[in-house]
Amino acid sequence: MGMFDKLAFALGLKKREASVLVIGLDNSGKSTMLNHFKSEDQRTTDIVPTVGFNVEKFKARNVGFTAFDMSGQGRYRSLWEHYYHDCQGIIFVIDSSDKLRLVVAKDELDILLQHPEVRNRRLPILFFANKMDMREAVSSVKVSSALGLERISDKPWHITASNAVTGDGLHEGVEWLTNQIKENVGNNNK
Amino acid sequence: MMGSFKPAKKDEEDGGGNPYHNVDKTSVLQEARVFNDTPVNVKRCTHVLTKILYLLNQGEILSEKEATDVFFAMTKLFQSNDLVLRRLVYLGIKELCGVAKDTIIVTSSLTKDMTGREDQYRAPAIRALCRITDATMMLSIERYMKQAIVDRAPGVSSAALVSCRHIMKDSPEVVKRWVSEVQEALVSDGVMVQFHALGVLHQIRKSDKLAVTKMVSKLISSGLRSPYAICFLIRIVARLIEEDEAGTDSRLFDFLEAMLRHKAEMVIYEAANAIVTLKRSSARELAPAISVLQLFLSNPKPTLRFAAVRTLSKVAMTQPNAVAACNLDLENLIQDVNRSIATLAITTLLKTGSEGSVDRLMKSISSFLNDISDEFKIVVVEALRALALKYPRKQSVLMNQLADMLRGEGGLPYKEAIATTIITIIEDNPEAKEKGLDHLCEFIEDCEHTTLAVRILHLLGREGPRTRRPARYIRFVYNRVILENAAVRAAAVSVLAKFGAQCESLLSNILVLLQRCMMDTEDEVRDRATYYHAVLSTKDSALIHRYILNPPQYALASLERALVQYLRTDTTAAFDTKTLPTAPPPQEEKKTPSIMETASRPEERVVPSHEKYAEQLAAIPRFARLGPLFKSSAPLELTEAETEYMVRCIKHTFLNYIVLQFDCTNTLNDQLLEGVNVVVEGEGWEVEASIPCPSLPYSQMGSCYSLLPIPEDIMSTTGTLSATLKFKVRDCDPASGEPDTDEGYEDDYTLEDVEISVADHVQRAARSNFAAGWDELGAANELEDTFALAAMNTLEEAVAQITQFLGMHPCDRSDRVPDGKSSHILYLAGTYRGGHEVLVRAKLALSDGVTMQLTVRSDDPEVSEIIASAVG
Repeated sequence: MGMFDKLAFALGLKKREASVLVIGLDNSGKSTMLNHFKSEDQRTTDIVPTVGFNVEKFKARNVGFTAFDMSGQGRYRSLWEHYYHDCQGIIFVIDSSDKLRLVVAKDELDILLQHPEVRNRRLPILFFANKMDMREAVSSVKVSSALGLERISDKPWHITASNAVTGDGLHEGVEWLTNQIKENVGNNNK
Repeated sequence: MMGSFKPAKKDEEDGGGNPYHNVDKTSVLQEARVFNDTPVNVKRCTHVLTKILYLLNQGEILSEKEATDVFFAMTKLFQSNDLVLRRLVYLGIKELCGVAKDTIIVTSSLTKDMTGREDQYRAPAIRALCRITDATMMLSIERYMKQAIVDRAPGVSSAALVSCRHIMKDSPEVVKRWVSEVQEALVSDGVMVQFHALGVLHQIRKSDKLAVTKMVSKLISSGLRSPYAICFLIRIVARLIEEDEAGTDSRLFDFLEAMLRHKAEMVIYEAANAIVTLKRSSARELAPAISVLQLFLSNPKPTLRFAAVRTLSKVAMTQPNAVAACNLDLENLIQDVNRSIATLAITTLLKTGSEGSVDRLMKSISSFLNDISDEFKIVVVEALRALALKYPRKQSVLMNQLADMLRGEGGLPYKEAIATTIITIIEDNPEAKEKGLDHLCEFIEDCEHTTLAVRILHLLGREGPRTRRPARYIRFVYNRVILENAAVRAAAVSVLAKFGAQCESLLSNILVLLQRCMMDTEDEVRDRATYYHAVLSTKDSALIHRYILNPPQYALASLERALVQYLRTDTTAAFDTKTLPTAPPPQEEKKTPSIMETASRPEERVVPSHEKYAEQLAAIPRFARLGPLFKSSAPLELTEAETEYMVRCIKHTFLNYIVLQFDCTNTLNDQLLEGVNVVVEGEGWEVEASIPCPSLPYSQMGSCYSLLPIPEDIMSTTGTLSATLKFKVRDCDPASGEPDTDEGYEDDYTLEDVEISVADHVQRAARSNFAAGWDELGAANELEDTFALAAMNTLEEAVAQITQFLGMHPCDRSDRVPDGKSSHILYLAGTYRGGHEVLVRAKLALSDGVTMQLTVRSDDPEVSEIIASAVG
């Protein structure tokens, strides 16, 4: 980061930019979640399974987010790692109504945490226990224990129950993430 | 765009102003890391990406890992909304998609751009998307493609249609489902959209002639707006007329003629070009097209003048009289500032002009010959060749002109064209022979092209000894031995030997020269000299004939295979060369199609060569022990075109067996054929074994074989076999090709008869000296008979028919009948199955049909008999 940028940051003049990676199993609601953050006129009405990835931009509390919305289908999960290097935060979306596949989500999370690009960095991870409105959905606490989140000690993490269709819980989660990222940037600049 | 990039001073000096001159792959790949930065540095990324594209277009190859790394780094640039950068990313995707892995990753991003609001993104996104999408992923983008085809923006629609043509290559069924969208695009306002839509529609239907005809007649009556689309339609129509054999008075032809009056020049030219290239056009039908082209000749636009004069020059080859009307305009074009136009004008005039104008034209040619490129010089030479054949009396003038040109500057193709022309003149006109040979001799004294020198030396060896004073050529030939490189020296030695073999008086001197050649530094030259010296020293005419004048010519690949086989088996017996197939003489070279050939040509079916058949058959265990393949016939259609099943038969002749190969194609998409076999029956022939084709799905070709021993009695080795296709049908789903039921039913299908003729037992063989071979073979097994061929009206027809019946090769260019002669002698040479040499002399006379006196000589009386019985 150049001299001028640092100055701008210190004075709080410049709008902050951050890129985050949105991952999770297929049909967990990643694209729907991001769709909610877009302004009214840009939202799409039908969400189709993502093939590969999509780049979405949204703003929250004076921070501009660039989100890489990755495809969650099995055969594309191996491609997530190409984008670990240059993200400042990770959003992991879980379908809390899909009890059967919670173990699959746990596997994917373990692989993520073991990845060299992630293991040694203090990346904030935000978990959305999505689809909480469904009748068969389990609580965010249960999701948390099913994924073994308590083991994560070297990274800040946070879990929020959410409903991506109505937007419940999304802002709370993103607020937490914004704070974490701001803090990280602040630490780096000191 | 690259303003910020300042090349170092040194770069400027040797880079010639190209800022990318010193770009190096490794450093650029390093620089590509900038793509990973957030936020995206647009200016730098644009620059680096341009460098990568530059490298790729210079032919730099990236490894799979490098390409994948760059590709994924590049995908991060989708963050930026910079227009230029995004379009460069599309280009990058298209360049790298062949090498990089997992390119599917950009599918959603491209789909988003393609359906987005920014028109600048949409068309290139479609093109990029179609490149990264494989057949399995096609379904997921189908909906978007359908929308894009009928999009209101012409660029988007065109991009989708062009992509369709690419998709057709891999998954034609998918595109076929989009027909209604394509048809909708056909009535679009965009000129290009209409053109592209027609292209896609035609490609979808091109295998179904009825559908094409229907489409064309609908379009002719409804009319298209776009001139490009009309041009394409004209090409389709021209092809239909060509295929249909429909008379020129049909509606299709009326359409072509109507298009001559269209307002767009492009369309007028296309229509005129189509009419003049139609094979059937008569002079009357040509006239309007020619007059349109004539108008173009005086058009101020050089492109139109060029197109017109080029087309006219093509027509002039076949129909010079039709073009003669334009002579006045063509004369004016000789002074045209554009040299290409002037050249074509002159060469056209050479073809259409009268004998008297030749001298004048020759003068104007030589005045500007130095200004034009080699390519056009060749056009001039070709015109001179045609002229020489047309006006034999002008040959001396032309010969001098050619000799001048031969002395001038020029590349190999140009010199080769001149030499070929001189050789043609020599062959056509015996009087010009000595003069022509003199020019060529002079030329090889200072010729830098090895291939050309060898070719001319070969010609000298063939023609030289038969001239009045063969001795004068010896000096030129021997000079080659002293002065030239090894390949030419070796050729010169062979030529010396040919002189020695045919000119008794020179023999002693030739032997001395050959002895000197034995000191050569190159072993091939020494080998040849020693070999020829030894053969010539025997003074045994039979030996000299067999080993110098008509050396055995084996197909080298077959010889190699036979030798390998021989070494594996019992080597105590001597190797028998008689079973080997002789090399068939080279076919006349096919003309390479020119650049302007109409785009929609039918794909030519590649006919596999003798070697390929031999390999295919040897791979089948049952046929492996049949020995070397003697001859394979040309494919013979046993069914009418466009029937339910298509069967072609290829006859493979071995020493004692004939293998019939049946290539079957199933054209019914709701049937799966199993156990396909062709049953053949004929008197005196029995099938020893047959290999059926286990399964024959729709539109795939499968082969089944029948093995028949050839009867001992040589007189019953020809005959007719009836053939029936037998198979088991299982109905299946047309879309998937999966059979509906497990049960099938037996069925058969009658095919046309298979004829085994004398030609199947005879391999063509080249004889460079027929007369010597004729005497050598002697009259021991001579048979002579006279036939009246009432069905034939011309000598040419008779020559072609006899050559085909006997399956032999015409020697000494006796297949060309000079114009206006009423009698002709045809010499044919061939090898009968088992290595028997056969020569045929046919004296033909034209008198109310053709009368033929056929004389056959061979080394076996029975062979003579069967050959003599073949005609009649």
